[in-house]
Amino acid sequence: MSAQSSTKPDAGQPATDYRPRHSGFVSAAPRLGTAGQPAPERTRKRRSRNREGLEAGRRSTRTLLWIILGAALVVYGFPFVYLVLTSFKTPIDTIAVPPTILPREWTLENYTSALGRSGVLASMINSVQTAVISTLLSLVLAVPAAYGITRYKTPSGQVFIMAALVTRMVPPVAIGIPLASMMASAGLADTPIALAIAHTTISLPLSIWLMASFFEAVPRDLEEAATVDGCSRLGALWRVVIPVVSGGIAVTAIFAFLASWNEFLFALLMTAVRSQTTPVVIANFQTQFGLDWGSMTALAAVFSIPVILLTLLLQRKIVAGMTLGAVKG
Amino acid sequence: MSSRKTISRLAGIGSLSAAVLLAATGCGAGGPAAAPGNATSAVTVLVEAGGHAELAGVADKCKAETGLETTFVELPYDGLFNRLSSEFSSGTVSFDVAALDSVWLPNFKDAVQPIDELFTAEAKKDIFPALVKEAQVDGHFIGMPAWTNSEIILYRKDLFEDAKNKADFKAKYGYDLAAPTTWKQYQEISEFFTKDGMYGTDVKGAVETEWMAHVLQAGSPMVIDANNNVIIDNAAHKEALDFYTSLVKSAPTGAAQVDWAAAQNLFNQGKTAMTRFWAHAYRQIPKDAPVFGKVGTAAMIGGSAGVAGVPGPWYLSVPKATKNAENAKKFIKCAYDHNDLGIESTLGLAARMSAFEKYQDKPGYESFKPLIQTLSADATATRPSTAKWQQIVDTVLVPTLQKAVAGGDTAALLAEAKKKVQDLIK
Repeated sequence: MSAQSSTKPDAGQPATDYRPRHSGFVSAAPRLGTAGQPAPERTRKRRSRNREGLEAGRRSTRTLLWIILGAALVVYGFPFVYLVLTSFKTPIDTIAVPPTILPREWTLENYTSALGRSGVLASMINSVQTAVISTLLSLVLAVPAAYGITRYKTPSGQVFIMAALVTRMVPPVAIGIPLASMMASAGLADTPIALAIAHTTISLPLSIWLMASFFEAVPRDLEEAATVDGCSRLGALWRVVIPVVSGGIAVTAIFAFLASWNEFLFALLMTAVRSQTTPVVIANFQTQFGLDWGSMTALAAVFSIPVILLTLLLQRKIVAGMTLGAVKG
Repeated sequence: MSSRKTISRLAGIGSLSAAVLLAATGCGAGGPAAAPGNATSAVTVLVEAGGHAELAGVADKCKAETGLETTFVELPYDGLFNRLSSEFSSGTVSFDVAALDSVWLPNFKDAVQPIDELFTAEAKKDIFPALVKEAQVDGHFIGMPAWTNSEIILYRKDLFEDAKNKADFKAKYGYDLAAPTTWKQYQEISEFFTKDGMYGTDVKGAVETEWMAHVLQAGSPMVIDANNNVIIDNAAHKEALDFYTSLVKSAPTGAAQVDWAAAQNLFNQGKTAMTRFWAHAYRQIPKDAPVFGKVGTAAMIGGSAGVAGVPGPWYLSVPKATKNAENAKKFIKCAYDHNDLGIESTLGLAARMSAFEKYQDKPGYESFKPLIQTLSADATATRPSTAKWQQIVDTVLVPTLQKAVAGGDTAALLAEAKKKVQDLIK
């Protein structure tokens, strides 16, 4: 069913023509009947009606999109909002039966308790260290790998890009335990570098895939033009291609950062005193004797701030990157 | 535009510098690394997050007395087992002492070393008999109890002491309203208080320990007997399960999903008049809870075999792989000598009878007498010593219990459970 047919006015009723909403009401002239109208007038009316139908269709699509967006916001946003609200609740409020959304009494006690706990600040620094190192490692390895695969399209490259995904097909615990032993043997036990290397095994395969799709979207002509102008292959990559895919790099960086920032299992297996990251510290609020909801949610809320800031900072790049990936091929 | 570019450049340079700095100093912000095996007066203790508080006072005292510096590695409960498995299987450990849940002892018995010398005659006399028995595997003591717990009865003292309730109860059941000591009393009191939006008790379908305590009260070992026969379908198991499910009508709906946290919340919110719960919960009732100051304590109820509970101890063990065993044992001796310091912690538990007895008459520690009574009861016993226990719990006991509280046929469920347990342990 077309949007036009669904919005066609009743033939017998006096009608008024509407332009798009922002233009408002434009004509109040009485209708004379289609048969008696001159041809240009009929064409104008038909065009007007087409526009009207199209606009109505757009409006209903927009409304539908808003509804979906609203629903998605509730589904994805509510848990976080609830977490933040819980962090301001008193101990008895956090375990209320049935649960309440808003705190009955607002308190900052959970934040004082969570942030005052020994090791929390150190864990935050460790999380930043680990995530930054892991992101850098991922980019340094993924960008040239993806560029090589997309530009030299060799069979071995195709095999490599498929094989890169294999590490994602193995349960992390199967990799984590041997990795922990290897790091200990290499004298890297309980260091952020060891954990960052482990996190890179998670983010690298998908980083390569992401970057490959971004490089695919860059026309070869750009590089060729750069080489004609005297650039070397690497120079073209650095001066022309990299700036074009900078949005994609931002998206990949965010992905790698988040993968490391929120990772729990490897951190649990590989860290102890000096490199324990915040996800493990947050989990420590759940003990055999109970769960300290207030402190746990407070620390989780604080822990999410850097990621939110990073996302906002790179928002423009992310959108650009997504668009770049979307038009490939 | 140019200012935006400048900001962007500055941010880029700043980020890069920070990244380089962080990477260059990538040795961690949590202080020096745990260094098992090479320190002369240091020890690293791997502990579950909740247990850290229990041992923090001991560590301070130990340092003051012996100069031993203790570093704790805290991990969440679920992760601790994985970490222990990982390090024990690799043969290199990052700790000198591990706090082990009692159910893990059979799993790790080959990875920890005997500490028989710490179990003196005096120590064996001062530790609850069930714990002394559990700590001994293949003729050697492999773990020193650091703290223990047991289920007791927590009840609403204010409701039990209410004159109208007392009169109504006596008129209906023919005896005085008081903390229950038998299954029948527990059933009737639960039934009595189930009114006006309140429930007499909770029924925890998502955890098995309470059902197991009732099995002991009915006079049977839990699930597997001393000869490794699966006895989950015997009369005591059925009797205990039938008693357990009989309470469903006096409990909030959704019993199959109720676990420890849910039951504790219900009681602290004033929704249930009684709960069978771990003794530590008494001291953890939030000050702003409607039931704060209104809770009484009693020993666990008894069946035909009398009072019984399933202890929940944690043991301090020394891994075979550590080269710092001397300091590790020194720390464990400190933990035993100053076991009562754990009672001053937020958790407030100990393992020695003398430690509990020292505090039992002090205000705020009213849960200790019932705890001692339950742990000292003849029928009290620890879980079967099998490495498969957790698997039996997760794949057989809890599902069976959940089906039973949802109205399943208990005899049929137990027969089915027997086959599953047999398959697991064969």
